[in-house]
Amino acid sequence: MASKENNNVHPEHEHISSYKEHFGTWVGLILLTLMTVFVSAFGADLSTLTVVTALTIATIKALAVALYFMHLKYEPKVYRAWIIVVMALFLFFLTMVILDFTTR
Amino acid sequence: MTVAALSQPNFFQAKKGIASWLFTLDHKRIGLLYLYSIGFFFIVAAGLGVLMRLELLNPGRDLIDAQTYNQVFTLHGVIMIFLFIIPSIPAVFGNFALPLLLGTDDVAFPKLNLISWWLYVIGALFALFTLFYGDGPADTGWTFYAPYSVRTGTNVSMTVMAAFVLGFSSILTGLNFIVTIHRLKTPGMGFNQMPLFAWSLYATAWIQLLATPIIGITLLMIVAERVLGIGLFDPSIGGDPILYQHLFWIYSHPAVYIMALPAMGIVSEVIPTFAQRTIFGYKAIAYSSMAIAFVGYFVWGHHMFTSGMSGPAGFIFSILTFFVAIPTAVKVFNWVATLYKGSISIEVPLLFALAFIFNFSIGGLTGLVLGALATDVHVHDTHFVVAHFHYVMFGGAGFAFFGALHYWFPKIWGKMYNKAMANLAFILLFIGFNLTYFPMLIVGIMGMPRRYYDYLPEFHEMNMLSTFGSWIMITGLIIMIINLVVSKQRGAKVSGNPWNGITLDWQTSSPPPLHNFDKMPVLPEGGPYNYPDAISTHEEKEKKDDE
Amino acid sequence: MSQEHAFVLPNSGHNFDAKSSKMGMWLFLYTELLLFGGLFLVYMIYRYLNQDAFLLASFELNVWMGATNTIVLLTSSMTIAMAITALQKGNKKLSITLSWVTIAAAIVFLVIKYFEWGAKFEHGYFPGMDHYNELPHGERLYFYLYFFMTGLHAVHVIVGAVFILFVIRGIQKGKVTKDRYSLLENSGLYWHLVDLIWIYLFPLFYLIH
Repeated sequence: MASKENNNVHPEHEHISSYKEHFGTWVGLILLTLMTVFVSAFGADLSTLTVVTALTIATIKALAVALYFMHLKYEPKVYRAWIIVVMALFLFFLTMVILDFTTR
Repeated sequence: MTVAALSQPNFFQAKKGIASWLFTLDHKRIGLLYLYSIGFFFIVAAGLGVLMRLELLNPGRDLIDAQTYNQVFTLHGVIMIFLFIIPSIPAVFGNFALPLLLGTDDVAFPKLNLISWWLYVIGALFALFTLFYGDGPADTGWTFYAPYSVRTGTNVSMTVMAAFVLGFSSILTGLNFIVTIHRLKTPGMGFNQMPLFAWSLYATAWIQLLATPIIGITLLMIVAERVLGIGLFDPSIGGDPILYQHLFWIYSHPAVYIMALPAMGIVSEVIPTFAQRTIFGYKAIAYSSMAIAFVGYFVWGHHMFTSGMSGPAGFIFSILTFFVAIPTAVKVFNWVATLYKGSISIEVPLLFALAFIFNFSIGGLTGLVLGALATDVHVHDTHFVVAHFHYVMFGGAGFAFFGALHYWFPKIWGKMYNKAMANLAFILLFIGFNLTYFPMLIVGIMGMPRRYYDYLPEFHEMNMLSTFGSWIMITGLIIMIINLVVSKQRGAKVSGNPWNGITLDWQTSSPPPLHNFDKMPVLPEGGPYNYPDAISTHEEKEKKDDE
Repeated sequence: MSQEHAFVLPNSGHNFDAKSSKMGMWLFLYTELLLFGGLFLVYMIYRYLNQDAFLLASFELNVWMGATNTIVLLTSSMTIAMAITALQKGNKKLSITLSWVTIAAAIVFLVIKYFEWGAKFEHGYFPGMDHYNELPHGERLYFYLYFFMTGLHAVHVIVGAVFILFVIRGIQKGKVTKDRYSLLENSGLYWHLVDLIWIYLFPLFYLIH
């Protein structure tokens, strides 16, 4: 097999996301951002729920960016599995350290 | 077994000159660059270790004072951990052997591979630099525990930056290996046809990739705290030192498996080759590597039982710690089962592999003592801990490193070392090692704390024994190194496959040509260790007896 | 050297392989996530220990500047994603334009950040300044983490922008093309990561109530 032939061009059918899909994602992200800002700025007082809400919305936004902008939705399954493992590890680190601090 | 046509120049001959080494993109040369640089630092740190043992020969001040002793054990730890044992097997033998074992011509990102080595060199220079200015090298121990690491006047920032840069090098090596294993297996080789060393490197690479960033950012915070004086970890200005310990061990415990897993991979290569027999429980060994890597993330708290961590957290960490013992034991049983009824040839690499099993078992079992909450309280921060991790790290990973060196020596240089000398070196190393560290287990239980240059008179005999052991060990090391260096120049030439191995690395000439393989390597039928004459199952044996 | 005798996989490391390079980029992004993850962990613990101080300190930040920056980054994320689509469809010119828009957004982000930081400097909130040293400990931690995390993020913004600039040159020179767009895709992935991190930084620092 010669070394230089067959330089790998994207051979398999790579998914090409449409402009429309990107724009739609963007609209969703902006709406979520505005929502959090207005809730926060105009004093919807959700007390302890605030952190949870804020992080939930942030996570939805992050998912949108990852799935659509970063094409994670169209990548092989293993990419999604990896990111789940990475996040699960991080959450475990966080949980155990918080557990230590809250039960001291 | 196909051996390449003699006309092909090997990778030593392919290019000449210093620059062809320093800027090489060949994984074999990069592996050797690592070997030489890592070997240098190992000798330096081993020297520091002997110096410490010499100071501990008698109680009281003999050679060096308390402060120097603190700096010596820190430097010994930093060099041994970050410059020797973490990069040792993955960077040297991973680089050299992984593409060969996978039957491909190089790693996935050759340039990145070179960058990793250069980062290693830069990190190493940072670490050495601390010797020559200000108050000298750090005196915190390799753990850099806050708040002392924030307050001491020694060159902690520089040492920490060294560890940071070395961490980057480690991450990039890991990244390279993961992509290599996913993308560059030779046609026909799936994950379950991979040699077990490749599996263990894969598991290791994931730890390097996912644990190292945490220590990176933590070390940056230490530097920032020293420079800007913010109470992040120093309790006198409001920080929390236990948070530092959490962050440190979130990396550093998995890092223990960066050191141990590749060593287990080496043993899994060496044992079937010298037993000429199919490995027992291939999948069990392969998946237990992944399991160790995975469970290794969940147990960091067992380093902190006595540091003020909460009771419930300690309880959970202690339970989780015991889970690591399971996949480790799975491996040990499988190795022993592989030897059973094999046609064993006692060669030096096998001796090192067997020594690994012996030493690592002691290290692992003493680890259970430390992992249990109740007993840990008594032996925490004693010499028992020192002995435990030297049994795991040196008696385990270090011996596997030497084993790998003797195993692939004919592959790398196409020559054979003097086997009698190698046997002698092994015996001295093994005896010296156990004589050095076993007494430490005993004085540890008696209560001798670690990291002091002085001790009470009742520990004297054991410490004397230990120091004698260190002399035997260093003699063995010197004989081994001289033997290898001399043999590299003048050893007898050997065939491409002196051990009669069947993994793909032995299917090309020794030393291999620049492109590793002249034609597509042929996978052994029925798995990577399926030796033609091997009797792998009981049924097969009966069948054979019937014939 | 007689290379024709060599066995070399078509996607060998010495050739070009789009899939390998994408995989490598993703793996690198995981390390970046955990790098910031360590900081988030520290933030979470100190916020838990100093809830009131963190709340008080967060009032010093300008929510509107933060929100504007969020929108700027989200928009830039869209433009770089579209730049990839454009290149995949063969529209080189549009791809270059969209990449430049992304870089412009990066600059706008940094300028706004500059004014934000500048205001904090004026009032002495930077670690080590006089006013900072008089603050209660919890607020000091807040500002320390604020500068550390947004600072590290800003470094990533700069790196990402330079990466994209490098890719634009590649497109112009014909090294990055319709059939070989890995580099653009990777710079895009990196840029989205910068965005992802900001998505978490924004509520954690600006929107505590």
